[in-house]
Amino acid sequence: MEIIIEEITRAHKLIARHKFLQNNINIGRGYDNDIIMADPHICAQHLNLSFNGEHWVLNDDDSINGSFYEDEYSKTKLAINQHIVHSGQVFVIGKSLIRVIFPDHPVPESISFSPFENILNLTRHPVFLTLSILCFASVTGWLFNLHNPVEATFTGLLVPAIGMTLMFTLWPAGVALVSHLTKHEARFWGQLGICFVFFNLMWVSDFIENLVSFNASSQSMFGMLASLLPILLAFCLFWLNCHIGFQMTNKRRTVVAACMTLLLFGGSFLIQLSKKPEFSIRPAFNTTLMAPSYLFARSNNVQDFIENSKTLFTKAQEAAKEEEK
Amino acid sequence: MKGLTTLILLCVSTISYATEQAEEIFKQLAPSLYQIRLIDTASGEKSSIGSGFQISSDGLIATNYHVISGYARHPNKYTIEIFDHKGKKAPLTLQSVDVINDLALVKRITDTEMPFFEIAKSVPQKGEELYSLGNPHDLGMIVVPGTYNGLKKESFNDRIHFTGSVNSGMSGGPVVNKNSEVVGINVATSGNQIGFLVPHDKLLNLYQRYKTSEPVNIDTQMAQQLANNQDKLITTLLNSAWQMRPLGEGLIPVVNIPFIRCWGESNADKADAIVSAVVANCSLDENTYISNNFFTGSIEMEYRYMQAKELSDTKFYQIFERQLNQVMPGNKAGKDDVTEFQCQHDITSPSNQAITNKSVFCTRAYKDFPKLFDVLYIAISVDKGDKALLSHFTIAGVSQDSALNFTEKFMESISWK
Repeated sequence: MEIIIEEITRAHKLIARHKFLQNNINIGRGYDNDIIMADPHICAQHLNLSFNGEHWVLNDDDSINGSFYEDEYSKTKLAINQHIVHSGQVFVIGKSLIRVIFPDHPVPESISFSPFENILNLTRHPVFLTLSILCFASVTGWLFNLHNPVEATFTGLLVPAIGMTLMFTLWPAGVALVSHLTKHEARFWGQLGICFVFFNLMWVSDFIENLVSFNASSQSMFGMLASLLPILLAFCLFWLNCHIGFQMTNKRRTVVAACMTLLLFGGSFLIQLSKKPEFSIRPAFNTTLMAPSYLFARSNNVQDFIENSKTLFTKAQEAAKEEEK
Repeated sequence: MKGLTTLILLCVSTISYATEQAEEIFKQLAPSLYQIRLIDTASGEKSSIGSGFQISSDGLIATNYHVISGYARHPNKYTIEIFDHKGKKAPLTLQSVDVINDLALVKRITDTEMPFFEIAKSVPQKGEELYSLGNPHDLGMIVVPGTYNGLKKESFNDRIHFTGSVNSGMSGGPVVNKNSEVVGINVATSGNQIGFLVPHDKLLNLYQRYKTSEPVNIDTQMAQQLANNQDKLITTLLNSAWQMRPLGEGLIPVVNIPFIRCWGESNADKADAIVSAVVANCSLDENTYISNNFFTGSIEMEYRYMQAKELSDTKFYQIFERQLNQVMPGNKAGKDDVTEFQCQHDITSPSNQAITNKSVFCTRAYKDFPKLFDVLYIAISVDKGDKALLSHFTIAGVSQDSALNFTEKFMESISWK
């Protein structure tokens, strides 16, 4: 009678898979066993699995640490003796786990190649990756120059540009490391490729946000909509990070990506909130300024501007009354 | 030699005559002259001191508003008391204030008729000798002779220019003429024998208004005075001629009124500057004291023309953006006095379409004085690649209508040449 025995991790990740044709299988640390385990908590003759013509039956061979059936629902361990095995059941021997599967055990549906695979393959292509990183470093250097009150030299910009690029490389490296540590394929180059594509998209989103914020008045909703763009990009990046580095269901991937986005933006919002003084004498307003070539909005007339300002007086007066209470 | 001896003798005799006269005046007026103390209720110690003088037989005493401002703003924290020439103390109650002219009337309870200072009926002659009385730095009552030099020039609210030492602690003390009549009240100093006095007619007005009807609430009285003063100021500004003056390639309005003084600066001497900048600012040189951390009544206008030298447009506007972040209110006020600023921004052009600006308008309300606001406006032109014009003003303690009328005129006035 055929039977498959899988050695698995505590997180139920596959370590090794064995297929047997005989009706009697011995598991233990001894070299005469059918499956030779390395776990020192397992006895030389630990467990016996035999087919009685109708069922596969598990018997513990009086091992020191015993053998247990891990109840899937209650997560409790039950000692086994003459235990009738069902396909897919997990057993604990020593500190190791085995799963017993019958040949007719159903397998999950095949996963078709993701449409992202082609894009992912492109982003990790050496030429594309180099261009992507160079683009990121150039934008970083240009922005450093822009925010520098005096004209900076090329070499002066090189150090911060390279520094920033290396710093941003830490994220894909970190994700790849976690993948590796959780027994997944690291796929560092894939992570690096997709991350730098998104880092460059972040610059684009920054530019769009500035452009909208420069052109839109404080009455317009466009400014707020544009600020959603980086949140959306961050979510997509985290989703793809999970897609490349970890095997998980789409639902789980979406939840993980959403949680990470929330952590990133919610965290930075909380930090800003905690730094905000209780009262500020400095007026807070949109200070975005861009060169005239980026101005697309039509000018408002002075009367309308004055009319819109009237609501500020009402707001301020209400705030004064509110604070007086 | 004889001539010189005669001159020296004449000088000595003049000085000794002036000293004698000052002594005579001091002796005569000392019973109506007081030190005013603001006592912190919790510690029982004095928190600030000033001078004051009796102006009626029933115990009404005049002093500066800033001497008793702590009590006016926080009546539960302080008490006011006087300390007379014999070292006796008596409690005082606040009766009325003129926050614009920095005057206050306080009262002591008395059963008997008391000596008091007469307020002069006429203005002194320029060069006339006056005597300032007060208690500088808590050193004891003194008399300081000095000269009347007319009203301070370029002043929105009248102040007498007095050539004589007015020191801290003498605030609220009277300045009298040879006939012992009050012609002014010590209020401020610029050092080096330059003192400023509130003219006697302001005190007379306050006294007469008080006799007609006593104010019900000091905060309401102050709010009304602040609003009236700012309305008068803004109306004067709006009705006066606004001259258009060039600033680089821009045209800026300069209000042609003596009390609005303008100053200019540029970086023309710095050859290595990446941006050439010309700055002009005009402001009212006076403000209204409400408390140590709260001043109002000021107005400031600033214009800045900047032209890029071999700089990309993007970087040029980035530099300007940094300047927008440095905007601060023109007056001093804290959390207890005002709300946080409420702001709005838009791309605007005046009716003649002569300039396109990114304009920002902010306002904050006064907590204790309803319908009074601080406003702040800043605009930067965004229609020329390598040059830009910044126009900015702040007005403190102004009504909504006055603020918006001024903003409209200001926005319509800025343009390119």
